Amino acid sequence: MPLETATKAKGERALSPRERVQIAVNRVGHSYRPQKGRAVTALEDVSLAVKDREFLALLGPSGCGKSTLLYLIGGFLPVEEGSILIDGQRVAGPGPDRGIVFQHFALFPWKTVLKNVLYGLEKARLPREERLSRARAFIDLVGLSGFEESYPSQLSGGMRQRAAIARTLAIDPSILLMDEPFGSLDAQTRSLMQGELLRIWQRSKKTVVFVTHDVQEAVFLAERIAVMSARPGHVKEIVEARFDREDPDLLRSPRFVEIVDHIWNLVRAEAIRADRGGAP
Amino acid sequence: MARVSERVEPFPARVAAPFHEALSRLWRALSGMLSLLVVLALWEAFAREGAVSSFLLPAFSVVVERVFQDAASGELFFNLGPTLYRTLVGFVIAGSAGVVIGILMARNAVIRWFFDPIVSIGFPMPKIAFLPIFMLWFGLYDFSKISMVVFNAIFPVITAAMAATEGVERELLWSAQSLGASRRRLLWEIVLPAALPQIFTGLQVALPVAMIVTIVTEMLMGGPGLGGAMITASRFADSPGVFAGIVEIAIAGLILVKGMAILRRRLLLWHQETKEPTTV
Ligand SMILES: Nc1ncnc2c1ncn2[C@@H]1O[C@H](COP(=O)(O)OP(=O)(O)OP(=O)(O)O)[C@@H](O)[C@H]1O
Ligand SMILES: [Mg+2]
Repeated sequence: MPLETATKAKGERALSPRERVQIAVNRVGHSYRPQKGRAVTALEDVSLAVKDREFLALLGPSGCGKSTLLYLIGGFLPVEEGSILIDGQRVAGPGPDRGIVFQHFALFPWKTVLKNVLYGLEKARLPREERLSRARAFIDLVGLSGFEESYPSQLSGGMRQRAAIARTLAIDPSILLMDEPFGSLDAQTRSLMQGELLRIWQRSKKTVVFVTHDVQEAVFLAERIAVMSARPGHVKEIVEARFDREDPDLLRSPRFVEIVDHIWNLVRAEAIRADRGGAP
Repeated sequence: MARVSERVEPFPARVAAPFHEALSRLWRALSGMLSLLVVLALWEAFAREGAVSSFLLPAFSVVVERVFQDAASGELFFNLGPTLYRTLVGFVIAGSAGVVIGILMARNAVIRWFFDPIVSIGFPMPKIAFLPIFMLWFGLYDFSKISMVVFNAIFPVITAAMAATEGVERELLWSAQSLGASRRRLLWEIVLPAALPQIFTGLQVALPVAMIVTIVTEMLMGGPGLGGAMITASRFADSPGVFAGIVEIAIAGLILVKGMAILRRRLLLWHQETKEPTTV
């Protein structure tokens, strides 16, 4: 018995969840070939390993392929070049294990906020009572109580974005793919939502891939920040950033400012390259 | 705040409010039809003036009187019944078949390959030219007339349904899938509701087409129906009868089109455009 426990403990340490790679992106490329217009190579030779329960931010100039990479991980676009493994399995299509918040929300316009949030819970076959209380709890979490019966067209951009966040969080996916999820929010709401996201992440042990344009947000939220190059995008540099987020002076601490500056310069250089047409 | 508004708004004003409201609504309804009233008044004045003989242009009041006479004698309903029946049966068949064909064309390459040439030739063609063939093949009765209505009204529905289905944002499908929807359910749960506003617009185009084609086939094939009755009246030099037919058709058409608009508002409550007041 003691022996068995000992080996198990050892085995567990070897597989310590925080070390295990959950999302393995291996030399992935992607080209869009529209029926009309020219083909665009959005991603080229992207490799990235996201560890279990990690909070990873994805930064890069506009048009470098951040959304495309999320779509590939989400299984919405076929992986034609390279491979993407989730828990060792090839991505074969979308599924509720990978929740996504789309850059443009993608709420169902014919459903009210409540029905939007309920949709995924119905698919998960939760009992009726639980569905309702869960949906209301997440609507409350994003500060949309009182708007349960509103249609998306009756909400502001930021409210739509929060409804989309509630819809995705409600199904409790183990991997959260978020495409600029706070992009339409004002500074105050954004900071509140950042706090909620961090709390959920810490409590429910999710892996988060978080696309943002806001360098400070990335450094504040994420444990690692992957900076992508101009199109065709690949991972240019990965920056570690583990800070004590409880520290009220964090945003002014020299190391925080230094990392923000460093990443800012990286993104700026790539944005300039993108502006010149991505020529090397 | 509450006390101030109580003082400012005296008791009698509250009683008067519904009356004012009704009056202003009546004014809005009348002013919306002002141009129509002007035309009718000019018609009446012109006919009474004796500028043209009452045979060429009977006074509007005479025509209205004739409509009431037709209604009292049952003649109106004897003709209106078959016309509405053909219009609506043809419309329902064209509508349901058109929606099915249009959606299938958008989603299935083989079906599209088959129907595409037929639709591209059939849509812009004056299909009424097929009338003699339909008379040869199907005779002069309801089957022939309704077939003609379907043949004419189906094309706008097919093209609208196809465009609507193709226009459904891929992110809506993706978000449904990542919330746990199976591919099989996507058509019912996402594609159809997302495409409904545009499909409904196609139906709103098809309904007047169905009505027009019904009247024309009735005029050319004879038998009971408003179109046939007008031709008969014209043969017997009964000019009030002809003009009464036009007024009856106009009213029937208006009721049908308004009915569709009301249905749209009910069905597409969530759709922003639909909520705006429209003249149709
Ligand atoms: N549906 C599409 N068809 C053709 N090309 C596309 C399509 N979607 C994206 N692209 C191209 O792929 C490139 C990457 O697009 P993507 O949306 O992934 O960029 P992004 O990094 O998310 O940009 P942003 O920060 O502006 O959201 C773009 O330069 C664009 O030209
Ligand atoms: Mg994007």
